Amino acid sequence: MPPETSELVLTEPGAIGPCHVGPDALLGIKRQQTNPTRWNGQRWHPFAAALRDGGIELRENIAACGTFATDAGGTAYGLPHGVVIARSAAQVSALLKAAQQFRVPVTVRGGGLTTEGESVAFGGVLLDMTGMSRVLHVDTEALTVRTEGGIFWHSLAEELRRYGMDYLSAPLNLTSSVGGTLGVGGIDVNSPRLGCSADQALALQVVTPRGDIVECSDTQNAELFQRVVLGYGQFGVITEATLKIRRYTPLRMHYFYYDSLRTAVEDMQLLNRNDASDYSGILTIMDCAVNLLVAFDSDERETAFRANWQSKLRGHGEPGFALCMLRRYALRPWKLPEAWYLLQRKRELFPEFRRSEYMHDGLMYDRTVVFSRAVWKFWGSKQMVIPDLATSAEKFAEAVERGNAVCRKYFPHYTLYCVGIRLRPEHKPHYEMSCIPPDAEGWAYGCEFEPMMDDRVYSRDYLQSFKNAIYDIGVELGGSYYRFGGMMKGYIRRVFGDEVVDRHLAMKREADPAMILNRDVIF
Amino acid sequence: MFDFVINTPAAHKSYSDCSGCGLCTLVCPVWRRKRDLQHSPLGWAKALQHGAAPGDLVDALWNCTLCRACDPVCPERIDVSGMILKLRAQLVHPQTAVLQGRMAAQARRPAPACQEKTALLAGEALRAHPALLSRITALLDKAGVLVVAHDDGADISLALEAGVTVSPERLAALIEPLRRADKVIVADGLLLPYLAQWLPAARIFSLGETLSSLEIIRRNLRVTDLYVIEPRAYHADYVRLIKYYDRLRKERGCDFNLDLQRIAIPATVRGLPQRLGLMVPDDDAQASWVLHGRSITRIVVESLEDRAAFEKVSNVPVVHLAELADSLRR
Ligand SMILES: Cc1cc2nc3c(=O)[nH]c(=O)nc-3n(C[C@H](O)[C@H](O)[C@H](O)COP(=O)(O)OP(=O)(O)OC[C@H]3O[C@@H](n4cnc5c(N)ncnc54)[C@H](O)[C@@H]3O)c2cc1C
Ligand code: SF4
Ligand code: SF4
Repeated sequence: MPPETSELVLTEPGAIGPCHVGPDALLGIKRQQTNPTRWNGQRWHPFAAALRDGGIELRENIAACGTFATDAGGTAYGLPHGVVIARSAAQVSALLKAAQQFRVPVTVRGGGLTTEGESVAFGGVLLDMTGMSRVLHVDTEALTVRTEGGIFWHSLAEELRRYGMDYLSAPLNLTSSVGGTLGVGGIDVNSPRLGCSADQALALQVVTPRGDIVECSDTQNAELFQRVVLGYGQFGVITEATLKIRRYTPLRMHYFYYDSLRTAVEDMQLLNRNDASDYSGILTIMDCAVNLLVAFDSDERETAFRANWQSKLRGHGEPGFALCMLRRYALRPWKLPEAWYLLQRKRELFPEFRRSEYMHDGLMYDRTVVFSRAVWKFWGSKQMVIPDLATSAEKFAEAVERGNAVCRKYFPHYTLYCVGIRLRPEHKPHYEMSCIPPDAEGWAYGCEFEPMMDDRVYSRDYLQSFKNAIYDIGVELGGSYYRFGGMMKGYIRRVFGDEVVDRHLAMKREADPAMILNRDVIF
Repeated sequence: MFDFVINTPAAHKSYSDCSGCGLCTLVCPVWRRKRDLQHSPLGWAKALQHGAAPGDLVDALWNCTLCRACDPVCPERIDVSGMILKLRAQLVHPQTAVLQGRMAAQARRPAPACQEKTALLAGEALRAHPALLSRITALLDKAGVLVVAHDDGADISLALEAGVTVSPERLAALIEPLRRADKVIVADGLLLPYLAQWLPAARIFSLGETLSSLEIIRRNLRVTDLYVIEPRAYHADYVRLIKYYDRLRKERGCDFNLDLQRIAIPATVRGLPQRLGLMVPDDDAQASWVLHGRSITRIVVESLEDRAAFEKVSNVPVVHLAELADSLRR
């Protein structure tokens, strides 16, 4: 049913307007993206003058602004009025105080690896946090690191490795930043055991939207800590972080191949429930070749897995799976093009995961480098559409199967990436209105659905319809999403309900009266 | 006709193909110093994609050190350093006339033809250390087939770096005398891929690889050494050399200036202003970063520039690769 009136309702800046996507909309119907409008530039000049008087460098030239015109998604485009490179908490504080005073929006950007325009500035200031990217202190006794918030995870890894240390878990892309990730989640193939990156944060230095510089943790200013961790940058700019670290270990990798998504998901969950592996995740070539990767930090853990769990997995080794495929396509000759694609893909992908410079004596030395470089090489492009679903363990297999059906409908080729996230019961307050589904206990599970564009050009509407079809499943299952901000913010009320969203909106208004910080990401 | 564009499969890709992944930023020494994306290929590529012109990026373009670390990491296979040189060619450097004058003078004085099978292009830095140069020639000339080229193209290298066009006459003056050589060893890593293209019949090697493959040097590498690979040559022939140095690591057990992506971390940060002598190099922070957290007792360098940088910030001995053979004799 179409809405009764199509009148445009004007909304106060910062407030959530009526949902643009009607609850009765048909699944898969093309819809427009909820791209925010550009800020009108009111009082920009006195604001810019105030910043410069305060000694803050503000760049307004096209080279500076153009650098940040889009994010990794490449579907949202917007130019800031000016760019500030973060250099210190005091500078960020002065910037935010002026922004409150002149009501100028500030968009914070770390690695810019969002895909829904969350780190794109539609006018106002773009605050580039990568200017604050130094490691401040590594404590190899207490197993912690204090770092500036704009550091790329990979730069942090480079520094930690000089001490024989490693971070716990981080996104597999090398160039997301610590601050940007703590705000959204951060999922790694060891997250089934160690949790998400946001759970590694022990303490943060935050500059609040009003410009106060506050240290917070579970014991100090706990309420701010709860809101900033997994808070999508709504409640403050993370300028420094204390994170847990661990001793570095190379990996013993195992790969199991399945032709059924559900079986692979069930086996992965079996491993997670029984703490049978240190790393696990599923990476697929469509739903035809489903790879469950399992890895270990030590010989002991690997031996225990071999003894107790390996025989319980229903996946095959490479030769066994090749036989399965042979049988499958011999009986379905009309599907030979698909078989050909699988073969081609295998030829490209497999050597990348076994490059000799990253493997010594059968051990993988730089898993994040291996995985992340492969991610960029095979899945990266100027336009990336990666909708996802996050659910409780119980609902996950259904979510994956339904999402897979959507992928099949929209694209000839695609990849699914599934991984679990160990939850920390004491962090429940952090998880509210985040990527962690409200009903998840013990583990949450996430699946990314990534179409392969294969040099084809798709309209933005087509891609948006695809995303909507995936996101609609999340609403129906009562789950959540890793990417629910920016252009997908229309889903926030649908998935979390008015009560929760209004409570957070009230907190946001209190913390950020002019609603300047990361406007249009959530609120 | 000679071509100044390196003919790799990536040569046709440019900034317009940049996905913005940022892997180049992670390895860029200039970005590391400035923490400013405008000083990284990601920053230039995105700025150019969204309306900037090369003239808007002048400082950043001149500051690039051409270490080529960004080339092998780029998943889009953009010839990033080639792109930088092309962009530089669109700017006119104030020293253009001086560089052209140097090349014209050199072209008027063609060098005699190399009569031997192997030619060494020693470069200015090595020429300034005659004792080390003669040590190197003695080491390499076991079979008496090596000649030190009179013309090692130092002016061409600088012109390439500055985006100044090299005339066909000047190029011919460099190349023709080398035609008889079937092996060319070059100390200036920037020239390596160009020579490979200009002299397709010859095998071109870096001085670092050549010296480190000598048993007399190799066997003196210790487990507690930090071996510093010269980045320009290494990144220009990355796919092959990564395997070469991996074998050396396995054999000798020494540490390398390689990061987790197996990219050589440069020990210096010298952009065009430093190379042209317009600014004093300040490599201390970068050289210290290479050493940070490593337990080593000696630094072994392939390039003299790196030796100078480490000597300023380190209290362990810094030796040139060629000097390892000396220590054997003592
Ligand atoms: C190719 C690719 C692969 C990916 N792989 C993974 C993966 O394996 N696992 C995973 O978890 N995610 C993955 N992601 C998603 C991405 O890693 C996350 O969105 C990411 O962690 C964001 O970090 P960032 O630094 O890029 O943040 P940005 O994109 O810059 O920002 C994210 C949000 O946080 C805000 N923000 C940024 N910095 C700060 C700060 N210092 N303080 C406060 N707010 C801030 C921004 O305004 C924005 O709203 C992938 C994305 C891509 C494109
Ligand atoms: S060549 Fe070196 S200095 Fe220049 S952009 Fe690439 S990595 Fe940076
Ligand atoms: S590595 Fe290549 S694709 Fe990635 S940001 Fe740099 S230039 Fe662009």
